[in-house]
Amino acid sequence: MKQNLLCGLLVALLLTSSISAYAQKIGDHAPEFQATGSNGQTHKLSEYRGKFVVLEWHNNGCPYTRKHYESGNMQRLQKEWTARGVIWFTVISSAPRQQGYATAQQENDYLKQMNGSPTAALLDPQGDVGRLYSAKTTPHMFIINPAGILIYDGAIDSKATTDQADIATATNYVSQALEEAMAGKVVTTPTSRPYGCSVKYAH
Amino acid sequence: MLDRSVIRLVCFFSVGVTCLVLPTLTKAESPGDQHVKIELISEQDAIVPHRKVWVGIRFDLQDGWHTYWVNPGDSGEPPRIEWELPEGFEADAIQWPYPQRLSIPPFADFGYEHQVLLIAAVQTPPGLKEGVRERIAARVHYLVCRDVCIPGQKQLELTLPVKSRAVAGSDLQLFEATRCRLPQPAPERWKISAASIGDDFVLNLIIGRSAGAPQFFPLEEEQIENAAPQTATTIPGGFRLHLKKSGHLLKPLSRLRGVMVLGSGKAYRVDIPVSQSSSNVHTQ
Repeated sequence: MKQNLLCGLLVALLLTSSISAYAQKIGDHAPEFQATGSNGQTHKLSEYRGKFVVLEWHNNGCPYTRKHYESGNMQRLQKEWTARGVIWFTVISSAPRQQGYATAQQENDYLKQMNGSPTAALLDPQGDVGRLYSAKTTPHMFIINPAGILIYDGAIDSKATTDQADIATATNYVSQALEEAMAGKVVTTPTSRPYGCSVKYAH
Repeated sequence: MLDRSVIRLVCFFSVGVTCLVLPTLTKAESPGDQHVKIELISEQDAIVPHRKVWVGIRFDLQDGWHTYWVNPGDSGEPPRIEWELPEGFEADAIQWPYPQRLSIPPFADFGYEHQVLLIAAVQTPPGLKEGVRERIAARVHYLVCRDVCIPGQKQLELTLPVKSRAVAGSDLQLFEATRCRLPQPAPERWKISAASIGDDFVLNLIIGRSAGAPQFFPLEEEQIENAAPQTATTIPGGFRLHLKKSGHLLKPLSRLRGVMVLGSGKAYRVDIPVSQSSSNVHTQ
């Protein structure tokens, strides 16, 4: 019991220190995380070694997230890439009572209504996974390669607006990075400024 | 009074699909209107042919709401202005007053609270007919945020008569106060240099005096950790500022461009090479 308390304290300390510590960089091992999905299943990043993993930070009320969902763009990406063996996690780090917060039921309803098909929607209301990755905005996209290395950290695409009309003419950095990495090529745009609303972390 | 975004959320989470398809708001009901008033104003009361006239987009924000600087920081988006001008008129670039750092824990944005005036000079052609009213218009795309963000678009216009002489209008003081907040070129005698040292950019500012609490705002995104404290130490003739590098910087930065705001509230443009030496900081 005492051991658990000590471990808990250590983990808490590590997590709080990760807020001010330097976040992982491109080429580093992506930090291990564990989170529960809206379907009740627990997911650990290390379970997906051998596959590409996409992390999509999400807030369904944010106008930038809505740009990509109301246009069907995000759902298209989820469908296309999961069909090609990519693990896609939508991550919700909004604290309770903040915009974007969702219970498992609410998130499942939302996914059904919006026709979303991520591998899972990870519920992170304490913001642990968000802070671990320094997720700044919704959307903010990360890609981890089958060796567990972070190969992309940034915006979903090259046009930082709320206008759906910009999607068609933007470069989709996620698709670009996945195509390149799957072909064994260097990722030409490994980082970009993630655009969107700030992630609504618990204070 | 519930604002529309709250009503939307309530609808979203209620059982059933009925609220999902949200009614499209008409132009007049832009949801941002509740939280920011945006106006196009002119410094003077008339247009003198072949003379420039200063106009400004004034944002008046409700308490708690903010909008963004040209580099918005970790989130957000700066306003974008599309001018509609008469034949022969040309608008110069928007002049941005120096921003505030807005803490959005654990990150930071750069922007404005309460009120900001974004000014621009409009060049006018010769040969304009006296007495004719000319229309200057602007379409402003903006984002205002508090705990939530609301994007919006506002169509603005003003008309001014063409006259041989113009006098200052009622907003002169606001234009002058705004000019005080515009970054000025650094004085010739200052020696400003920057070096990349480990995880930091170290700036030396030899300006002939020490300054209280200087703050640096980079013009370009993804160069520094926006929320990191900028530790300043006094050195002979000035001060040294440590800026934590952005984790997104994948290759060495050759030049640092931005705005240095001194404790006095005066802002200066900085545009300097970054020395990659890990030992001494070389002055220009």
